[in-house]
Amino acid sequence: MTVPVIEVEDVRVRLRGHTVLEDVNLAVHQDDFYAIIGPNGGGKTTLLKVILGLLQPSCGTVRILGGTGAAARKELGYVPQFRTFDFEYPITVREMVISGRLGHITRFPRRYGAEDHARTEEALRMMGIADLADRQIRDLSGGEQQRAIIARALVGDPKVLLLDEPTVYVDAPTAAQFYSILDRLRERMAIVLVTHDIGVIPEHVTRVACLNRRLYTHDTNEITPDMLEAAYHCPVDLIAHGVPHRVFSEHAEEE
Amino acid sequence: MFEILGFEFFRNALIAGVLASVACGIIGTYVVVRRMVSVSGGISHAAFGGIGLGYYLGIDPLLGATAFTVATALGMGTLQLRARQQMDTIIGAVWAAGMAIGILFVYLTPGFAPDLFSYLFGNILLVPRGDILLMGVLVVIIVAVVALLYRELQAVTFDPDYATVMNLPVERLSLLLLVLIALTVVMLIRVVGIILVIALLTLPAAISRLYTTRIRSMMLLAVILGIAFTIAGILLSYLLDVPSGATIILVSTVAYAGALVTERLRQGD
Repeated sequence: MTVPVIEVEDVRVRLRGHTVLEDVNLAVHQDDFYAIIGPNGGGKTTLLKVILGLLQPSCGTVRILGGTGAAARKELGYVPQFRTFDFEYPITVREMVISGRLGHITRFPRRYGAEDHARTEEALRMMGIADLADRQIRDLSGGEQQRAIIARALVGDPKVLLLDEPTVYVDAPTAAQFYSILDRLRERMAIVLVTHDIGVIPEHVTRVACLNRRLYTHDTNEITPDMLEAAYHCPVDLIAHGVPHRVFSEHAEEE
Repeated sequence: MFEILGFEFFRNALIAGVLASVACGIIGTYVVVRRMVSVSGGISHAAFGGIGLGYYLGIDPLLGATAFTVATALGMGTLQLRARQQMDTIIGAVWAAGMAIGILFVYLTPGFAPDLFSYLFGNILLVPRGDILLMGVLVVIIVAVVALLYRELQAVTFDPDYATVMNLPVERLSLLLLVLIALTVVMLIRVVGIILVIALLTLPAAISRLYTTRIRSMMLLAVILGIAFTIAGILLSYLLDVPSGATIILVSTVAYAGALVTERLRQGD
Protein backbone atom coordinates (compact mmCIF):
# COMPACT_ATOMS: atom_id res chain seq x y z
CA MET A 1 0.00 0.00 0.00
CA THR A 2 1.33 3.43 -0.89
CA VAL A 3 2.12 6.10 1.68
CA PRO A 4 -0.98 8.13 2.52
CA VAL A 5 -0.86 11.70 1.19
CA ILE A 6 -2.04 12.94 4.57
CA GLU A 7 -1.55 11.07 7.81
CA VAL A 8 -2.87 12.52 11.06
CA GLU A 9 -1.82 10.59 14.15
CA ASP A 10 -3.24 10.98 17.68
CA VAL A 11 -3.70 14.72 17.25
CA ARG A 12 -4.99 16.69 20.20
CA VAL A 13 -5.54 20.43 20.13
CA ARG A 14 -6.28 22.59 23.16
CA LEU A 15 -7.24 26.21 22.57
CA ARG A 16 -7.86 28.61 25.46
CA GLY A 17 -8.37 25.78 27.91
CA HIS A 18 -10.79 23.84 25.73
CA THR A 19 -10.03 20.59 24.00
CA VAL A 20 -11.01 21.20 20.39
CA LEU A 21 -9.63 18.00 18.91
CA GLU A 22 -8.95 14.76 20.72
CA ASP A 23 -7.28 11.55 19.54
CA VAL A 24 -7.85 12.37 15.91
CA ASN A 25 -6.49 9.83 13.48
CA LEU A 26 -6.95 10.21 9.77
CA ALA A 27 -5.32 8.79 6.66
CA VAL A 28 -6.08 10.24 3.25
CA HIS A 29 -4.90 8.24 0.27
CA GLN A 30 -4.03 9.38 -3.20
CA ASP A 31 -7.36 8.43 -4.78
CA ASP A 32 -9.59 9.48 -1.88
CA PHE A 33 -12.39 11.98 -2.08
CA TYR A 34 -12.84 12.44 1.63
CA ALA A 35 -15.77 14.32 3.15
CA ILE A 36 -15.53 15.38 6.79
CA ILE A 37 -18.81 16.52 8.25
CA GLY A 38 -19.70 17.77 11.68
CA PRO A 39 -21.53 20.49 13.56
CA ASN A 40 -20.30 24.07 13.69
CA GLY A 41 -17.63 24.36 16.36
CA GLY A 42 -16.85 20.67 16.00
CA GLY A 43 -13.22 21.36 15.08
CA LYS A 44 -13.34 20.98 11.30
CA THR A 45 -11.46 24.15 10.46
CA THR A 46 -9.04 23.45 13.32
CA LEU A 47 -8.26 20.03 11.86
CA LEU A 48 -7.57 21.60 8.45
CA LYS A 49 -5.33 24.21 10.06
CA VAL A 50 -3.36 21.51 11.82
CA ILE A 51 -2.90 19.65 8.52
CA LEU A 52 -1.86 22.87 6.79
CA GLY A 53 0.65 23.76 9.50
CA LEU A 54 -1.22 26.94 10.48
CA LEU A 55 -1.76 25.58 13.97
CA GLN A 56 0.57 23.45 16.09
CA PRO A 57 -1.25 20.54 17.76
CA SER A 58 -0.72 20.09 21.50
CA CYS A 59 0.35 16.56 20.73
CA GLY A 60 0.32 14.14 17.81
CA THR A 61 1.88 14.31 14.38
CA VAL A 62 0.87 15.22 10.85
CA ARG A 63 2.71 13.74 7.89
CA ILE A 64 2.35 15.01 4.34
CA LEU A 65 3.51 12.36 1.86
CA GLY A 66 5.37 10.71 4.73
CA GLY A 67 7.26 13.89 5.71
CA THR A 68 6.71 16.26 8.62
CA GLY A 69 8.64 19.34 7.45
CA ALA A 70 7.09 22.63 6.45
CA ALA A 71 8.45 22.16 2.92
CA ALA A 72 6.07 19.22 2.36
CA ARG A 73 3.15 21.63 2.63
CA LYS A 74 3.70 22.84 -0.90
CA GLU A 75 2.05 19.59 -1.97
CA LEU A 76 -1.18 20.88 -0.41
CA GLY A 77 -3.72 23.03 -2.18
CA TYR A 78 -5.97 24.98 0.16
CA VAL A 79 -9.34 26.54 -0.54
CA PRO A 80 -10.05 28.53 2.63
CA GLN A 81 -13.47 29.20 4.01
CA PHE A 82 -15.03 31.84 1.85
CA ARG A 83 -14.50 35.41 3.04
CA THR A 84 -11.57 34.61 5.29
CA PHE A 85 -9.47 37.16 3.45
CA ASP A 86 -10.13 40.65 2.22
CA PHE A 87 -11.85 40.74 -1.17
CA GLU A 88 -11.40 44.52 -1.27
CA TYR A 89 -7.66 43.98 -1.73
CA PRO A 90 -6.49 45.48 -5.04
CA ILE A 91 -5.44 42.37 -6.92
CA THR A 92 -6.37 40.97 -10.30
CA VAL A 93 -7.52 37.40 -10.75
CA ARG A 94 -4.34 36.52 -12.65
CA GLU A 95 -2.10 38.03 -9.93
CA MET A 96 -3.95 36.12 -7.24
CA VAL A 97 -3.78 32.83 -9.11
CA ILE A 98 -0.08 33.09 -9.97
CA SER A 99 0.73 33.89 -6.34
CA GLY A 100 -0.04 30.22 -5.68
CA ARG A 101 3.26 29.42 -7.43
CA LEU A 102 5.39 31.32 -4.88
CA GLY A 103 5.86 28.20 -2.75
CA HIS A 104 7.60 26.48 -5.66
CA ILE A 105 10.10 29.26 -6.31
CA THR A 106 13.20 28.85 -4.19
CA ARG A 107 15.64 31.26 -5.79
CA PHE A 108 15.89 34.78 -4.43
CA PRO A 109 14.52 37.25 -5.30
CA ARG A 110 11.46 35.26 -6.30
CA ARG A 111 10.45 35.93 -9.88
CA TYR A 112 7.77 34.19 -11.93
CA GLY A 113 9.14 32.19 -14.86
CA ALA A 114 7.62 30.86 -18.07
CA GLU A 115 6.32 27.72 -16.34
CA ASP A 116 4.60 29.76 -13.64
CA HIS A 117 2.80 31.81 -16.28
CA ALA A 118 1.87 28.72 -18.29
CA ARG A 119 0.46 26.96 -15.21
CA THR A 120 -1.54 30.05 -14.35
CA GLU A 121 -3.15 30.29 -17.77
CA GLU A 122 -3.93 26.57 -17.63
CA ALA A 123 -5.59 26.88 -14.23
CA LEU A 124 -7.56 29.95 -15.35
CA ARG A 125 -8.84 28.05 -18.40
CA MET A 126 -9.63 24.95 -16.40
CA MET A 127 -11.76 27.00 -13.99
CA GLY A 128 -13.40 28.84 -16.87
CA ILE A 129 -12.25 32.29 -15.71
CA ALA A 130 -9.61 33.03 -18.37
CA ASP A 131 -11.68 35.93 -19.69
CA LEU A 132 -11.85 37.44 -16.19
CA ALA A 133 -8.10 37.26 -15.59
CA ASP A 134 -7.49 41.02 -15.64
CA ARG A 135 -10.51 41.91 -13.53
CA GLN A 136 -10.21 42.83 -9.89
CA ILE A 137 -11.14 40.03 -7.54
CA ARG A 138 -13.74 42.24 -5.81
CA ASP A 139 -15.62 42.80 -9.08
CA LEU A 140 -16.33 39.08 -9.52
CA SER A 141 -19.47 37.24 -8.47
CA GLY A 142 -19.30 34.84 -5.55
CA GLY A 143 -19.05 31.79 -7.78
CA GLU A 144 -16.33 33.38 -9.90
CA GLN A 145 -14.35 34.37 -6.82
CA GLN A 146 -14.55 30.81 -5.62
CA ARG A 147 -13.24 29.47 -8.91
CA ALA A 148 -10.35 31.94 -8.68
CA ILE A 149 -9.52 30.63 -5.21
CA ILE A 150 -9.54 27.05 -6.48
CA ALA A 151 -7.36 28.09 -9.45
CA ARG A 152 -4.82 29.52 -7.01
CA ALA A 153 -4.76 26.19 -5.17
CA LEU A 154 -4.32 24.29 -8.45
CA VAL A 155 -1.34 26.21 -9.89
CA GLY A 156 0.84 24.75 -7.16
CA ASP A 157 0.15 21.29 -8.65
CA PRO A 158 -1.00 19.88 -5.29
CA LYS A 159 -1.29 16.20 -4.41
CA VAL A 160 -4.24 17.00 -2.15
CA LEU A 161 -6.86 19.70 -2.33
CA LEU A 162 -8.33 20.75 1.02
CA LEU A 163 -11.61 22.66 0.95
CA ASP A 164 -13.20 24.36 3.94
CA GLU A 165 -16.98 24.87 3.69
CA PRO A 166 -16.70 25.68 0.00
CA THR A 167 -20.40 26.15 -0.75
CA VAL A 168 -21.67 28.15 2.20
CA TYR A 169 -21.91 31.47 0.38
CA VAL A 170 -22.85 30.35 -3.11
CA ASP A 171 -26.29 29.59 -4.51
CA ALA A 172 -27.46 26.10 -5.44
CA PRO A 173 -26.66 26.17 -9.19
CA THR A 174 -23.17 27.50 -8.44
CA ALA A 175 -22.67 24.77 -5.86
CA ALA A 176 -23.72 22.11 -8.39
CA GLN A 177 -21.28 23.54 -10.92
CA PHE A 178 -18.62 23.58 -8.23
CA TYR A 179 -19.08 19.88 -7.45
CA SER A 180 -18.81 18.96 -11.10
CA ILE A 181 -15.44 20.77 -11.12
CA LEU A 182 -14.35 18.69 -8.12
CA ASP A 183 -15.33 15.52 -9.96
CA ARG A 184 -12.95 16.43 -12.75
CA LEU A 185 -10.13 17.27 -10.34
CA ARG A 186 -10.26 14.05 -8.39
CA GLU A 187 -8.58 12.15 -11.18
CA ARG A 188 -5.49 14.27 -10.56
CA MET A 189 -5.41 14.65 -6.78
CA ALA A 190 -6.92 13.55 -3.50
CA ILE A 191 -9.65 15.82 -2.19
CA VAL A 192 -10.63 16.55 1.39
CA LEU A 193 -13.88 18.44 1.77
CA VAL A 194 -15.06 19.81 5.09
CA THR A 195 -18.65 20.92 5.64
CA HIS A 196 -21.29 21.27 8.33
CA ASP A 197 -24.06 20.74 5.83
CA ILE A 198 -24.68 17.04 5.32
CA GLY A 199 -27.09 17.92 2.53
CA VAL A 200 -24.32 19.04 0.20
CA ILE A 201 -22.05 16.01 0.21
CA PRO A 202 -21.40 15.30 -3.44
CA GLU A 203 -22.22 11.92 -4.85
CA HIS A 204 -18.71 10.80 -5.68
CA VAL A 205 -17.12 10.94 -2.23
CA THR A 206 -15.25 7.75 -1.43
CA ARG A 207 -15.05 8.16 2.32
CA VAL A 208 -16.98 10.06 4.96
CA ALA A 209 -16.04 10.91 8.52
CA CYS A 210 -17.88 12.81 11.24
CA LEU A 211 -15.99 15.24 13.42
CA ASN A 212 -17.07 16.61 16.74
CA ARG A 213 -13.92 16.90 18.82
CA ARG A 214 -13.30 13.23 18.00
CA LEU A 215 -13.28 11.87 14.48
CA TYR A 216 -15.67 9.05 13.68
CA THR A 217 -14.56 7.28 10.55
CA HIS A 218 -16.14 4.68 8.40
CA ASP A 219 -14.57 2.69 5.62
CA THR A 220 -17.23 3.39 3.05
CA ASN A 221 -18.82 6.50 1.69
CA GLU A 222 -21.97 6.02 3.75
CA ILE A 223 -23.08 8.24 6.54
CA THR A 224 -24.52 5.88 9.11
CA PRO A 225 -26.96 6.99 11.77
CA ASP A 226 -24.42 5.77 14.37
CA MET A 227 -21.77 8.15 13.07
CA LEU A 228 -24.13 11.08 13.01
CA GLU A 229 -25.40 10.33 16.47
CA ALA A 230 -21.86 10.04 17.80
CA ALA A 231 -20.81 13.27 16.14
CA TYR A 232 -23.88 15.39 16.76
CA HIS A 233 -24.72 13.86 20.14
CA CYS A 234 -28.35 13.49 19.25
CA PRO A 235 -30.32 11.19 17.02
CA VAL A 236 -30.41 12.72 13.59
CA ASP A 237 -33.14 11.77 11.22
CA LEU A 238 -31.32 11.28 7.94
CA ILE A 239 -34.29 11.73 5.69
CA ALA A 240 -35.69 14.73 7.56
CA HIS A 241 -32.29 16.38 7.33
CA GLY A 242 -32.33 15.89 3.62
CA VAL A 243 -29.32 13.66 3.25
CA PRO A 244 -29.48 12.81 -0.43
CA HIS A 245 -30.15 9.18 -1.15
CA ARG A 246 -27.13 9.07 -3.40
CA VAL A 247 -24.90 9.03 -0.32
CA PHE A 248 -26.08 5.53 0.45
CA SER A 249 -24.25 2.55 -0.84
CA GLU A 250 -26.65 1.30 -3.48
CA HIS A 251 -26.24 4.53 -5.39
CA ALA A 252 -22.51 4.71 -4.84
CA GLU A 253 -22.23 1.80 -7.27
CA GLU A 254 -23.23 4.07 -10.09
CA GLU A 255 -19.68 5.40 -10.20
CA MET B 1 5.66 83.90 -6.49
CA PHE B 2 8.41 81.98 -8.29
CA GLU B 3 11.05 84.14 -6.64
CA ILE B 4 10.70 81.99 -3.52
CA LEU B 5 12.30 79.10 -5.41
CA GLY B 6 15.51 81.09 -5.10
CA PHE B 7 15.59 80.44 -1.37
CA GLU B 8 17.44 77.31 -0.28
CA PHE B 9 15.00 76.60 2.56
CA PHE B 10 12.18 76.54 0.05
CA ARG B 11 13.96 74.19 -2.37
CA ASN B 12 14.79 71.93 0.60
CA ALA B 13 11.14 71.94 1.60
CA LEU B 14 10.07 70.85 -1.89
CA ILE B 15 12.71 68.08 -2.01
CA ALA B 16 11.67 66.87 1.45
CA GLY B 17 8.02 66.91 0.37
CA VAL B 18 8.76 64.80 -2.72
CA LEU B 19 10.89 62.29 -0.77
CA ALA B 20 8.26 61.95 1.95
CA SER B 21 5.54 61.48 -0.68
CA VAL B 22 7.44 58.63 -2.35
CA ALA B 23 7.78 56.78 0.97
CA CYS B 24 4.15 57.54 1.88
CA GLY B 25 2.74 56.37 -1.42
CA ILE B 26 4.56 53.04 -1.30
CA ILE B 27 4.23 52.18 2.39
CA GLY B 28 0.84 53.88 2.80
CA THR B 29 -0.52 51.52 0.13
CA TYR B 30 0.27 48.52 2.33
CA VAL B 31 -1.11 50.34 5.39
CA VAL B 32 -4.43 50.95 3.60
CA VAL B 33 -4.89 47.54 1.96
CA ARG B 34 -3.79 45.62 5.07
CA ARG B 35 -5.89 47.90 7.30
CA MET B 36 -2.99 48.84 9.54
CA VAL B 37 -4.02 52.46 10.02
CA SER B 38 -4.34 52.23 13.80
CA VAL B 39 -1.10 50.23 14.15
CA SER B 40 0.64 52.99 12.20
CA GLY B 41 -0.97 55.59 14.47
CA GLY B 42 0.39 53.74 17.50
CA ILE B 43 3.87 53.57 15.99
CA SER B 44 3.88 57.27 15.11
CA HIS B 45 2.76 58.43 18.53
CA ALA B 46 5.27 56.14 20.20
CA ALA B 47 7.87 58.13 18.24
CA PHE B 48 7.33 60.99 20.68
CA GLY B 49 8.93 58.82 23.37
CA GLY B 50 12.01 58.62 21.14
CA ILE B 51 12.00 62.38 20.54
CA GLY B 52 11.96 62.94 24.31
CA LEU B 53 14.72 60.38 24.80
CA GLY B 54 16.80 62.18 22.16
CA TYR B 55 16.43 65.48 24.02
CA TYR B 56 17.29 63.83 27.31
CA LEU B 57 20.42 62.16 25.94
CA GLY B 58 21.41 65.26 24.00
CA ILE B 59 21.38 63.46 20.61
CA ASP B 60 19.39 64.26 17.48
CA PRO B 61 15.75 63.64 18.52
CA LEU B 62 15.09 62.02 15.13
CA LEU B 63 17.71 59.36 15.91
CA GLY B 64 15.92 58.66 19.19
CA ALA B 65 12.63 58.52 17.29
CA THR B 66 14.07 56.06 14.75
CA ALA B 67 15.26 53.66 17.45
CA PHE B 68 12.00 54.02 19.39
CA THR B 69 9.65 53.50 16.45
CA VAL B 70 11.53 50.50 15.08
CA ALA B 71 11.54 48.89 18.54
CA THR B 72 7.83 49.65 18.97
CA ALA B 73 7.02 48.25 15.53
CA LEU B 74 8.89 45.00 16.25
CA GLY B 75 7.30 44.73 19.70
CA MET B 76 3.75 45.30 18.45
CA GLY B 77 4.29 43.02 15.48
CA THR B 78 5.48 40.18 17.68
CA LEU B 79 2.53 40.66 20.02
CA GLN B 80 0.14 40.69 17.09
CA LEU B 81 1.56 37.46 15.68
CA ARG B 82 1.61 35.69 19.04
CA ALA B 83 -1.42 37.00 20.88
CA ARG B 84 -3.73 38.08 18.05
CA GLN B 85 -6.27 39.27 20.60
CA GLN B 86 -7.15 42.70 21.90
CA MET B 87 -4.82 44.30 19.41
CA ASP B 88 -6.76 47.57 19.51
CA THR B 89 -6.26 47.80 23.28
CA ILE B 90 -2.53 47.14 22.89
CA ILE B 91 -2.31 49.81 20.18
CA GLY B 92 -4.11 52.30 22.42
CA ALA B 93 -1.74 51.55 25.29
CA VAL B 94 1.38 51.92 23.11
CA TRP B 95 -0.03 55.10 21.59
CA ALA B 96 -0.52 56.81 24.97
CA ALA B 97 2.54 55.31 26.68
CA GLY B 98 4.83 56.60 23.90
CA MET B 99 3.49 60.10 24.33
CA ALA B 100 3.76 59.83 28.14
CA ILE B 101 7.39 58.70 27.98
CA GLY B 102 8.17 61.61 25.67
CA ILE B 103 6.57 64.13 28.03
CA LEU B 104 8.52 62.73 31.01
CA PHE B 105 11.85 62.89 29.18
CA VAL B 106 11.22 66.42 27.93
CA TYR B 107 10.32 67.45 31.51
CA LEU B 108 13.49 65.81 32.89
CA THR B 109 15.72 67.47 30.30
CA PRO B 110 17.27 70.58 31.82
CA GLY B 111 16.54 73.80 29.99
CA PHE B 112 14.23 74.49 27.09
CA ALA B 113 13.44 71.89 24.42
CA PRO B 114 13.99 73.66 21.09
CA ASP B 115 11.78 72.76 18.11
CA LEU B 116 9.49 70.59 20.24
CA PHE B 117 6.47 72.08 18.55
CA SER B 118 7.86 71.32 15.10
CA TYR B 119 8.24 67.61 15.95
CA LEU B 120 4.60 67.50 16.99
CA PHE B 121 3.14 69.45 14.10
CA GLY B 122 5.95 69.50 11.54
CA ASN B 123 7.65 72.34 9.81
CA ILE B 124 8.79 71.40 6.36
CA LEU B 125 10.21 74.90 5.80
CA LEU B 126 12.82 74.24 8.48
CA VAL B 127 14.11 70.87 7.25
CA PRO B 128 17.94 70.99 7.40
CA ARG B 129 20.22 69.58 4.71
CA GLY B 130 21.34 66.64 6.83
CA ASP B 131 17.76 65.48 7.27
CA ILE B 132 17.18 65.60 3.52
CA LEU B 133 20.14 63.28 3.03
CA LEU B 134 18.73 60.92 5.69
CA MET B 135 15.33 61.00 3.99
CA GLY B 136 16.96 60.21 0.65
CA VAL B 137 18.71 57.15 2.10
CA LEU B 138 15.47 55.92 3.68
CA VAL B 139 13.58 56.31 0.40
CA VAL B 140 16.24 54.28 -1.43
CA ILE B 141 15.99 51.53 1.21
CA ILE B 142 12.18 51.45 1.02
CA VAL B 143 12.08 51.36 -2.78
CA ALA B 144 14.76 48.66 -2.95
CA VAL B 145 13.11 46.40 -0.36
CA VAL B 146 9.66 46.71 -1.94
CA ALA B 147 11.05 46.12 -5.45
CA LEU B 148 12.86 42.98 -4.29
CA LEU B 149 10.01 41.56 -2.19
CA TYR B 150 6.97 42.84 -4.10
CA ARG B 151 5.47 39.38 -4.71
CA GLU B 152 6.13 38.11 -1.20
CA LEU B 153 4.71 41.26 0.42
CA GLN B 154 1.66 41.01 -1.81
CA ALA B 155 1.06 37.37 -0.80
CA VAL B 156 1.54 38.13 2.90
CA THR B 157 -0.67 41.21 2.98
CA PHE B 158 -3.38 39.60 0.84
CA ASP B 159 -3.73 36.21 2.49
CA PRO B 160 -1.22 35.47 5.29
CA ASP B 161 -2.63 31.97 5.89
CA TYR B 162 -2.05 30.92 2.31
CA ALA B 163 1.43 32.47 2.40
CA THR B 164 2.16 30.31 5.46
CA VAL B 165 0.96 27.17 3.68
CA MET B 166 3.30 28.07 0.80
CA ASN B 167 6.10 28.17 3.38
CA LEU B 168 6.93 31.85 2.89
CA PRO B 169 8.60 33.54 5.89
CA VAL B 170 5.35 35.26 6.86
CA GLU B 171 6.48 36.36 10.31
CA ARG B 172 9.70 37.97 9.10
CA LEU B 173 7.94 39.67 6.18
CA SER B 174 5.23 41.07 8.48
CA LEU B 175 7.84 42.46 10.86
CA LEU B 176 9.82 43.89 7.94
CA LEU B 177 6.73 45.71 6.74
CA LEU B 178 6.19 47.19 10.23
CA VAL B 179 9.82 48.35 10.32
CA LEU B 180 9.33 50.04 6.94
CA ILE B 181 6.24 51.77 8.35
CA ALA B 182 8.31 52.92 11.35
CA LEU B 183 11.03 54.36 9.08
CA THR B 184 8.42 56.13 6.95
CA VAL B 185 6.85 57.62 10.07
CA VAL B 186 10.24 59.02 11.13
CA MET B 187 10.65 60.63 7.70
CA LEU B 188 7.22 62.23 7.96
CA ILE B 189 7.82 63.74 11.40
CA ARG B 190 9.83 66.57 9.80
CA VAL B 191 7.15 67.20 7.23
CA VAL B 192 3.83 67.09 9.07
CA GLY B 193 4.73 66.15 12.65
CA ILE B 194 3.87 63.18 14.85
CA ILE B 195 0.22 64.12 15.35
CA LEU B 196 -0.53 64.43 11.63
CA VAL B 197 1.62 61.60 10.24
CA ILE B 198 -1.20 59.16 9.95
CA ALA B 199 -3.14 61.34 7.51
CA LEU B 200 -0.30 61.77 5.02
CA LEU B 201 0.48 58.06 5.27
CA THR B 202 -3.04 56.95 4.46
CA LEU B 203 -4.95 59.63 2.53
CA PRO B 204 -3.01 59.54 -0.79
CA ALA B 205 -3.16 55.73 -0.81
CA ALA B 206 -6.85 55.72 0.12
CA ILE B 207 -7.70 58.07 -2.77
CA SER B 208 -5.50 56.05 -5.11
CA ARG B 209 -7.38 52.88 -4.15
CA LEU B 210 -10.55 54.34 -5.70
CA TYR B 211 -8.97 54.50 -9.15
CA THR B 212 -6.54 51.58 -9.32
CA THR B 213 -6.80 47.81 -9.46
CA ARG B 214 -3.31 46.64 -8.51
CA ILE B 215 -0.81 47.31 -5.74
CA ARG B 216 1.76 48.56 -8.25
CA SER B 217 -0.50 51.19 -9.84
CA MET B 218 -1.97 52.11 -6.47
CA MET B 219 1.54 52.94 -5.21
CA LEU B 220 2.35 54.99 -8.28
CA LEU B 221 -0.81 57.10 -8.12
CA ALA B 222 -0.44 57.52 -4.34
CA VAL B 223 3.08 58.88 -4.83
CA ILE B 224 1.88 61.36 -7.46
CA LEU B 225 -1.03 62.47 -5.27
CA GLY B 226 1.25 62.83 -2.26
CA ILE B 227 3.63 65.05 -4.22
CA ALA B 228 0.73 67.17 -5.44
CA PHE B 229 -0.71 67.56 -1.92
CA THR B 230 2.59 68.43 -0.25
CA ILE B 231 3.59 70.97 -2.92
CA ALA B 232 0.13 72.52 -2.91
CA GLY B 233 0.21 72.60 0.89
CA ILE B 234 3.65 74.22 1.01
CA LEU B 235 2.67 76.90 -1.51
CA LEU B 236 -0.63 77.62 0.22
CA SER B 237 0.99 77.83 3.65
CA TYR B 238 3.57 80.25 2.23
CA LEU B 239 0.96 82.42 0.51
CA LEU B 240 -1.44 82.46 3.48
CA ASP B 241 1.30 82.50 6.10
CA VAL B 242 -0.11 79.52 8.04
CA PRO B 243 1.59 76.32 9.36
CA SER B 244 2.74 74.03 6.53
CA GLY B 245 2.05 70.60 8.10
CA ALA B 246 -1.55 71.40 8.90
CA THR B 247 -2.09 72.90 5.44
CA ILE B 248 -0.73 69.79 3.71
CA ILE B 249 -3.05 67.59 5.77
CA LEU B 250 -6.10 69.77 5.10
CA VAL B 251 -5.37 69.80 1.35
CA SER B 252 -5.17 65.96 1.45
CA THR B 253 -8.36 65.66 3.50
CA VAL B 254 -10.33 67.94 1.18
CA ALA B 255 -9.08 65.92 -1.80
CA TYR B 256 -10.09 62.66 -0.10
CA ALA B 257 -13.57 63.97 0.70
CA GLY B 258 -13.91 65.23 -2.87
CA ALA B 259 -12.83 61.87 -4.28
CA LEU B 260 -15.29 60.00 -2.07
CA VAL B 261 -18.20 62.25 -3.03
CA THR B 262 -17.34 62.09 -6.75
CA GLU B 263 -17.10 58.32 -6.55
CA ARG B 264 -20.45 58.10 -4.78
CA LEU B 265 -22.15 60.30 -7.39
CA ARG B 266 -20.58 58.32 -10.22
CA GLN B 267 -21.82 55.03 -8.81
CA GLY B 268 -25.24 56.52 -8.17
CA ASP B 269 -25.78 57.15 -11.90
